[in-house]
Amino acid sequence: MNKTFYLLLLLLLPAFAAFADTEPETPGSKRFTISGNIRDKESGEELLGATIYVHELKTGTVTNQYGFYSLSLNPGEYKITISFIGFTPIEKLIQMRENITLNVEMAPARQQLSEVVITGERPGDNIRKPEMSVVRMDIKTINRIPALMGEVDIIKAIQLLPGVQSTSEGSSGFSVRGGSPDQNLILLDEAIVYNASHLLGFFSVFNNDAIKDVTLYKGDIPASYGGRLSSILDIRMKDGNSKKFAGAGGIGTISSRLTLEGPVIEDKTSFLLAGRRTYVDIFLPFAKNEDIRDNVLYFYDLNAKINHKINDRNRLYLSGYFGRDVFSNEFARMSLGNQTGTLRWNHLFSQKLFSNFTLIQSMYDYELGTAEGNANSFIWKSKMQNQSLKGDFTWYINPDHTLRFGVLGIRHTFDPGFARGTGSESLFTEYRLPLNYAMEYGVYINNEHKISSKVVIKYGLRLSAFQNTGVATIYNYDSDFNAIDSVLYGKGKIINTYIAPEPRIGLNYVINPASSVKASYSRTVQYVHLAQNSTAGTPLDLWFPSSPNVKPQKADQLAVGYFRNFKGNAFETSAEVYYKNMYDVIDFKDNAELLLNPKLEGELRTGKGWSYGMEIMVKKNIGKLNGWVSYTLSATRRQIEGINEGNSYRAPYEKPHNISVIINYEFSERAVLSSTWVYSTGSPVTFPTGRAVIGNVIVPIYSDRNSYRLPDYHRLDVSFTYKNKIRENRTWQGEWNFSVYNAYGRKNAWAINFQQDPVNPYVTYAEKTYLFSIIPSITYNFKF
Amino acid sequence: MKTLNIKPLFIKAFGIVAATLIMASCTEKIDIELDESYTRLVVEGSITTDTTAHIIRLTRSTSYFFPEQAPGVSGAELTIDDGSNLITLSETEPGTYATPTDFHGLPGRYYTLNIKLSEPIGGYDNYTASSYMNFPAPLDSIKAVFRSEWGPDGFYEITCYVQDSSSVDFYMFNVFKNGELISDTLNKVFVTDDRFYNGNYTNGIGIGYLNQSYERQKVNPGDVLAIESARITEEYFKFVTQLQIQSGYQSPLFSGPPSNIKGNISNGGIGFFAAYPVSYTTTIAESN
Repeated sequence: MNKTFYLLLLLLLPAFAAFADTEPETPGSKRFTISGNIRDKESGEELLGATIYVHELKTGTVTNQYGFYSLSLNPGEYKITISFIGFTPIEKLIQMRENITLNVEMAPARQQLSEVVITGERPGDNIRKPEMSVVRMDIKTINRIPALMGEVDIIKAIQLLPGVQSTSEGSSGFSVRGGSPDQNLILLDEAIVYNASHLLGFFSVFNNDAIKDVTLYKGDIPASYGGRLSSILDIRMKDGNSKKFAGAGGIGTISSRLTLEGPVIEDKTSFLLAGRRTYVDIFLPFAKNEDIRDNVLYFYDLNAKINHKINDRNRLYLSGYFGRDVFSNEFARMSLGNQTGTLRWNHLFSQKLFSNFTLIQSMYDYELGTAEGNANSFIWKSKMQNQSLKGDFTWYINPDHTLRFGVLGIRHTFDPGFARGTGSESLFTEYRLPLNYAMEYGVYINNEHKISSKVVIKYGLRLSAFQNTGVATIYNYDSDFNAIDSVLYGKGKIINTYIAPEPRIGLNYVINPASSVKASYSRTVQYVHLAQNSTAGTPLDLWFPSSPNVKPQKADQLAVGYFRNFKGNAFETSAEVYYKNMYDVIDFKDNAELLLNPKLEGELRTGKGWSYGMEIMVKKNIGKLNGWVSYTLSATRRQIEGINEGNSYRAPYEKPHNISVIINYEFSERAVLSSTWVYSTGSPVTFPTGRAVIGNVIVPIYSDRNSYRLPDYHRLDVSFTYKNKIRENRTWQGEWNFSVYNAYGRKNAWAINFQQDPVNPYVTYAEKTYLFSIIPSITYNFKF
Repeated sequence: MKTLNIKPLFIKAFGIVAATLIMASCTEKIDIELDESYTRLVVEGSITTDTTAHIIRLTRSTSYFFPEQAPGVSGAELTIDDGSNLITLSETEPGTYATPTDFHGLPGRYYTLNIKLSEPIGGYDNYTASSYMNFPAPLDSIKAVFRSEWGPDGFYEITCYVQDSSSVDFYMFNVFKNGELISDTLNKVFVTDDRFYNGNYTNGIGIGYLNQSYERQKVNPGDVLAIESARITEEYFKFVTQLQIQSGYQSPLFSGPPSNIKGNISNGGIGFFAAYPVSYTTTIAESN
C-alpha cells in the first residue's frame, strides 16, 4: 500500500510541476482561456471528439464526452479551425486579450460525399491524438452496414473492427484481443450493462436511433476506466434535440422503432424518448411446428433522457434504459432484462476545470419458471445490480498539459439464485443462495503532456480496490477444491480487501502530418467475473465477485502502432501489434455446475493466459466509394492447472485469421449500396478421439481441449438503401433499406455433433448445424 | 444443472426460442477426420438388492467412428468383495461376467469390484471400483397422468407420492411397461436430487415420461406401468448426469466445453460400477 502511495505521488509530481509552470505570471505573459461547447446546428446535440485546431501553434484540443473544450493561449490573434467528420469545418479568428467563451454550432455537410470538401484541411486526428487501440464509430456508418433481419446493431458493427471477434454466429457477444466476453465493460451513459443481448444474443440492447457515440477501447485504456480486463465499450445516448421537435423511426421485418425528441425549453431543456419492440411472435401462428404457435416471444427497449442547462456552468442529465425479453409457452416462461439509470451533473469550476458528477444504478435480472398447477411448478430468479458514485475532473492546465483525475465507488449486490415452488400444488421449498455484497473503488490521475509538437506522452495511474462485505458465508476449500468448512461473516463486516495499482502509459510521436508512431502500456484488473462456460452465452448470467478464494484477474498489455494517412487524409491506415499477459484468468473445471450452486468457487480453476497479434486497417472515409478493410492475425492461449491436464490450450475465441471488408458505394445522394464480407478461421472445438459404450449409449472420449477447429467461416451481406426525394417544405424523410444476410448462402457450421445412425446404432457420423441460409429483409426508416 | 427438470426445462424453453428464432436452421452430414487415442478399459455394471445374476460388462474403447459393437474383454478374473464375503463372477459370454443367480446386495455395505485382466489394457491389468449401497426409499404410490398438451401426441407422465426423508438424496427411476424396460439406455433414465423438495411430501412430482409418438412407449388403458426406484450415491448421480449431457446435443448456446465423464474405475478405466437398492411400484394406466 505504501509503495503504491509513493508511486501515485511520483506520477502526480510532473502534473504539479506543470501546473507550477503556468503560475509564475510575469506581466504581459498571462495566458487567457477560450472554452465552450461545440454543437450540431440542427439538433443542438453536443459533438464529442470535435477538433479545435490552432494554426499558429500547430496544436489544438478535442471536445470531451460532453462536447466541452478548453484551451489556454498566450495573448494574441489566432486562426482556429473547428472540424468534425460529417460537418462543414468552421474557421474563426480569435483575439486572446481576455478569457473567452465560444460556443460553436456546426452545420452538417450536405455535400460531404462530393470530392470538393476534401480539399479543406482535414485534421488527421488519428495521427495526432495520443491514443491507440481505440475506435470510434459514428451512427451513420453503423446504419449502413447490412444487418441480420435488417436490425442494425452497434455490437455487430464493432465485430467488424480489427482485434474484435464475434463469439459465435449471429451472437452479440464479442471477444477483444483474445479476452472473454465478460472482460468487456459495456457502458450506456456510464452505467454498466451486464448483458447486452436480446433473444439469445442475436440482437443487442442498443437502439441506434437513441445513440450518439460509440467508442471501443481495445488497449491503451484511459486511467478513467477500469474494472474489466480486455476492453471498454463506451456508448453515449443522444441528449435530445434542443432546437425543434423531431422524430425518427423504422418499420422492419422483425421490429419497429420510434424516437421522439425535442426542446422543452428551447436551448435549455430537451428530452429524448426511444422505443423498440419486436414482433416475431406475430408470425408464430404461421409456423409449421404446431408446438410453437401459441408461444409468446418478444423483446422491447425503452431509452429516455432529459437534460437541463441551468446556466453556462451547470448542466444536468438524467437518462435511463429499460429493456426486457419475454418468452412463454405452455411449459415454461422466461423474462429477463437490463435497467440502467444515470444522473449527471456537469459543473465548470472555471474555464479550465471541467467536472462531472455521476450517480448510477444498473441492474440485470432474469426469471425462469414453469407453468403453474403441477407438483413441479417452480420459478427461479436471479439478479445483479450496482450503485455507483463518480466524480471526474479535467483540468486544462495549459495547451501542453491536460490533467484528468477522479474517484469512483461502486456497491455491487449479487443475488445468484432463488428458486421456489409456484401454485398451491407445488411441493418445492424455497431454495435461496445467499446474496453477495462487495464494494469497488477507484481513484485515478492522468496527465496528457505535449512535450513538443511531435511528441505527446500520457502517463497515469489508477488505483483500484475491492472489498467483500458481509453478510456472507465464505467456504474454505482443500487442494481438491472440496469445501471443508465455512466462516459466517456478519452484516457490513469487511471480509477481504484487494488493492491494485494500474499504471497506464502512452506515447505518440508524430513523424510528419501524415504519419505517427504510438506505443502504450496498460495494466487492467477485473474484480467481478461471469460464470458462463458456453461459448455463445445464455441469458442465465451469473456474475460473482472476487473473494478470499478468487483472486482478481489482471492483465498487462503492450501495444505499438504505426499510423499513416494518404491523399490528404482520405485514406487512414494503421498497423498495431500487441502482446497481452493475463494472470489469474478464470476457467471452469470439467462438467462444472455453475447455476444454483452455493459452492461455485469450487468449480473454478485459475491460471494464466497470453495473447498476441497484429491488426491492420485501411479506411476510406470519404468519396463515393468508402469503407474499410481490416485484417487481424492473432493467437490466444490459456494454461490452467486442472484443465486439459495442465497443458496450454487455445482460448475459446482464438481465430488466427480474421478479415472484414466493408464497402459502401454511393450512386447518388439517394442510393447507397453497402456490402460486408467477413472471413475467419473456424472457432476452436473439442472433438472425441475415441468412444466407450456404456448403458447402450455411445460416450465420447476426449483428449486435448480445443485442439480441432470448425470449418472456416465466411459470409457476404449486402444492403441497398434508397432515400425518397427530399421535398422542400416537408420535413418527412423516408428511406427504404433492402438487405440480404449471407448472400451466397454459405452453410457456416454453428455446432458439430456426432449422431448415431438410426438403422445401425453402432455407426456414428458427424453432423453440422448451421443457423442461417440466405435471409432477406426490408426496413423502412423515416425522420421528421 | 441436471436437477429436477431444471436443465431439461431450460433447454426445452430455450430450444423453442431458438427454434422459433432460427426457423431456417438446418443440419447436414459432414466429413471430419478424428485422431485416435489409446485403448482404455470400459466397465459397466451394477449390483442391486434383487436376487438375480448381476452382470458386469468389460469392453474396450474404440476409435470414434468404429462401426461395430464395442469389443468385449474376455478371460478376466472378477470378484466382488462386500467386506465379509468374496463373490467370484463367471464369464457367460465374451466380456460379460455374472454373479451367481442367488446373489443380492445388502444395504449399508461397501462393494468393491476387483478386475484382473489376462493382458493389460491402457497400461494396467488390475482395476478396482467401489460403491456404497444405500438403504432403500420405496415410493408410496405412483400415477400415470396423460398430458395431451405436450408434444404432438401427448405424453404419459408418471407422478410419484412419497414422504421425502430429511437427508440430501439422489434418486434414479426406470420405467417398465408390461414388464418391459422402456428406459433401456442410460440417457433415458431419470435421475434427480431432492435439493428443491428435501423433506417434503412429493405430491405428484414427475419421475418418468412416455412419449406417445413412439410405438414402444405408447400406453393403452390397462397397461401395467412400473417404476423401479433406487436411492443412488451422489457419485453415480453425477456420472449419469454427465453421461446424459456429454452424449447429448452440444451447441455453443447451452453447452460447456466437452469433457470426459468421471466414473469410479481406477487406473484410468472408463465407466461405473454401481450398487443401489431397488424398489418397485406399479399402477394401471387408465384411459385418457
